[in-house]
Amino acid sequence: MKITVLLSPGLHPLSGKPVLPRLEAQAIALGKSLGGVLSGLAAASCPDGVADALGHGLAQLDLIATTEGEDPMPLLAAALAEDGPKLVLAGRRSQGGEESGLVPYALAKALGLGVVADAVAIEPGTEPGTLSILQALPKGARRRVVARLPMVVTVHPAAPPALPYAYGAARRGTLRARRVQAAPGAPDAAPGLFEERAYRKRPKLMRGAGTGGSAAERLRAATEAGGAGGRVLTDLSPEQAARTILDHLAGLGILR
Amino acid sequence: MTPAALLPYVVLAMLALAALQAWRRFRHWRAGRPALVDWARGLVALPKRYLVDVHHVVARDAYASRMHMVVAGGLLAASALSVLTAVPPLGQSRIWLGLVALAFAVTLAGALLVGARRYPQRPRRLSGGRFQILPILLLAYALGGLLTAGLAAAGASLPPLSALGLLLAAAGGLGLAWQVRAGPMRHALAGAIHLAAHPRPGRFEGERASALRPLDLDAPKLGVETPADLAWNQLAGLDACIQCGRCETACPAFAAGQPLNPKRLIQDLAAAIAPEADNRHYAGSPYPEARPVAGIGGLTRPVIGADAMIHPDTLWSCTTCRACVEECPMMIEHVDAIVGLRRFQTLELGAVPMKAAETLGELRGADEPGGRALAARTDFAAGLDLPRLADTGTCDVLLWLGEGAYDLRYGRTLRALVTLLRRAGVDFAVLGAEERDCGDTARRLGDEATFQRLARDNVATLTRYRFARILTADPHALHALRNEYPAFGGTFDVVHHTAFLLELIEAGRLPAGSVAGLSVAYHDPCYLGRYNGEVEAPRALLDRIGAERREMARSGRRSMCCGGGGGAPISDIAGERRIPDIRMGQAKDTGAGIVAVACPTCTAMLEGVTGERPDVRDIAELVLQAVDAGAQAASARPPVAAAMPMSALEPAE
Ligand code: SF4
Ligand code: SF4
Repeated sequence: MKITVLLSPGLHPLSGKPVLPRLEAQAIALGKSLGGVLSGLAAASCPDGVADALGHGLAQLDLIATTEGEDPMPLLAAALAEDGPKLVLAGRRSQGGEESGLVPYALAKALGLGVVADAVAIEPGTEPGTLSILQALPKGARRRVVARLPMVVTVHPAAPPALPYAYGAARRGTLRARRVQAAPGAPDAAPGLFEERAYRKRPKLMRGAGTGGSAAERLRAATEAGGAGGRVLTDLSPEQAARTILDHLAGLGILR
Repeated sequence: MTPAALLPYVVLAMLALAALQAWRRFRHWRAGRPALVDWARGLVALPKRYLVDVHHVVARDAYASRMHMVVAGGLLAASALSVLTAVPPLGQSRIWLGLVALAFAVTLAGALLVGARRYPQRPRRLSGGRFQILPILLLAYALGGLLTAGLAAAGASLPPLSALGLLLAAAGGLGLAWQVRAGPMRHALAGAIHLAAHPRPGRFEGERASALRPLDLDAPKLGVETPADLAWNQLAGLDACIQCGRCETACPAFAAGQPLNPKRLIQDLAAAIAPEADNRHYAGSPYPEARPVAGIGGLTRPVIGADAMIHPDTLWSCTTCRACVEECPMMIEHVDAIVGLRRFQTLELGAVPMKAAETLGELRGADEPGGRALAARTDFAAGLDLPRLADTGTCDVLLWLGEGAYDLRYGRTLRALVTLLRRAGVDFAVLGAEERDCGDTARRLGDEATFQRLARDNVATLTRYRFARILTADPHALHALRNEYPAFGGTFDVVHHTAFLLELIEAGRLPAGSVAGLSVAYHDPCYLGRYNGEVEAPRALLDRIGAERREMARSGRRSMCCGGGGGAPISDIAGERRIPDIRMGQAKDTGAGIVAVACPTCTAMLEGVTGERPDVRDIAELVLQAVDAGAQAASARPPVAAAMPMSALEPAE
């Protein structure tokens, strides 16, 4: 199976130095676990940071040179259309850039593919040509999705950790300068959808916080909400204790 | 011919067999990488290296030292004198034969000493197996020689007894020679070559020679994957191991029940010096909590891995404390081997423990192991007004803060140090956001690429400014800056805060004061004591401030590690106990109320010990306390004109 991992030039959140976004390194690990032919694709004005992908287990990386501020979408779409990978793996959003999180969706739309978001595990489906994907939902819930290839899958931070960076592997990997012709008049990812405004601080609302009563009461109402219920059991044998916990988890639907 | 006349030929046969056995073994060294060896210098220095440097280490165990002197001296003398009996006038001389008999008698005494150490019960640190046969072979050779030469010297003609003696000598002697390839006797020949061609000759010339060698990052293979990736003289060093187990006794990871035993590690590597090899002949203590391994290898086969000789957990347990190197009578460089192996795992395979991978990732992305902002390094000094070198451009003393500055507890130490510098009127400044991590952790974890980048970047920053010295409270940074940065173009005068504070007090720049009544046990940081040989200044300082100083069972250059070096806390290999708990136990045994530290890592490790225990205080904190006490006593005395306005200098805590 031909897999392409989409990579982007990220910035370290504190130092501002170019780095490979962690999620994209995790995407490489996820792709590798699937087997198949894995290669990377990025559109960036300079290889710093992106090239680190070669140290995280990627053997080959195509880099499309962009000019500062150029929309990478049409270039990526053109390259993907040329390569025709079965699976496109991507992070959720760029890091230190505009971070709209739209690129995977816009690409999928341009290529006519489906998107499965927030994968934590991927394995081949029982039917050929399908993948069984474990999707992360809020509050630790998981959902298994079976989808037909080709498709775009984005990776969730709870996916298995990235392979540690290996300098020697980065040295061995190949970085290819890729030239593509963007389809003329390729549509902007989201024309006219956004309007830029200055940032304005808004008060954060605490969910579930009561509005009346004293400050102490509101605090209690806000913090006690999740604390209700539960049992305290003492003097259990380890087996009993384990059984009780398992039953409780099964009751919550976490274990089946 | 009489049996005595045959004695020289027995010895010559022994020599021939030993040479053959040595050749069968040592030819494998050629598979190792070439090494630059100054043979002339090494060979000339060999007697001194052996008689002074090796003896110095061996003599720490008085019994072993005496035993070795008698048995090795006797063996060499008896063999040499025996060969000379082949020369006609000597062979006829009964006086000469008496001398030969005397030498054999000395050997016999030595053999008995060797035996008495191993029988009936051998100490745990010694190896069994082939090593248990050694005293028997020695005994046979010595007794046989004594009988043959002694009877001849006495002029007694008892052919059956003489012949029996000769046979005994031949059996023992040839057995010893046989052992040159794979048994205990290998250490003698390999050891001599190792001493002459030692990879760190500076060790014999008064240098600490503890800096790691830079790795050529353009080499086709980075680090050590197979024994053949070691330099040939490192292979010779492995073969020099006599399995005395001194390294094992000193190793903190071994004591904590982590799967590391430096002796076994050296033996596993040595066992792999052959095209096809396995580990079944090892008969010493195992790795504690040993992880299962296949135990097979070879000169060009990978060493590390569950399917090879050494489990990765073993490799990552090491704190790089150098206690093994300090204790090794054969002057073997364990840490070089360990870091070499780690380099391959990290740089070529990316096979580092998960936590360590995160740290190394942050070091690459943020120049800081915790991924914290470099500008936040000075947050500990809120209100202290630290001058930045970028503003002053020049200063006398550059204060290198190190990673500890981010730690809340250690921040207190640095505040004390900065306060003291102010009191003494030292012209100092910090780099602030321009200070990157020194790269120590990256280097010990095998990430030489990141270390070299950090070293070059730091050297570039440092050479932009003018200052006389670098002061640091972090021995790891001290070691990197002082000993390892010169290879990257930065030679600096680096001083540890204990030595610097002592200077200030001796020069009268800090008011004398005292913490009399405090009982203090000083814990030597490995990177200050063993790596840099600085064990006196901290003690002198404690004496100057009137602390009642107590010594732990292990102290000075032979001190025990806190468990914090070499990236071990982040690799976090599980053991039965924790190293800092063991060390704190030793501090507690002195009955001291305070364990004095001089390193951010030791502070963090020892502060992490729970339960009833001595307080952990950095020497800087103790000195400040003494200086404060002195100032208070001075201001309490009525005629003093104006007490120093402390409040103006000292921030509110
Ligand atoms: S490595 Fe050195 S200290 Fe350890 S057993 Fe061998 S000779 Fe002894
Ligand atoms: S350096 Fe320290 S931890 Fe590592 S093997 Fe030697 S004694 Fe053990």
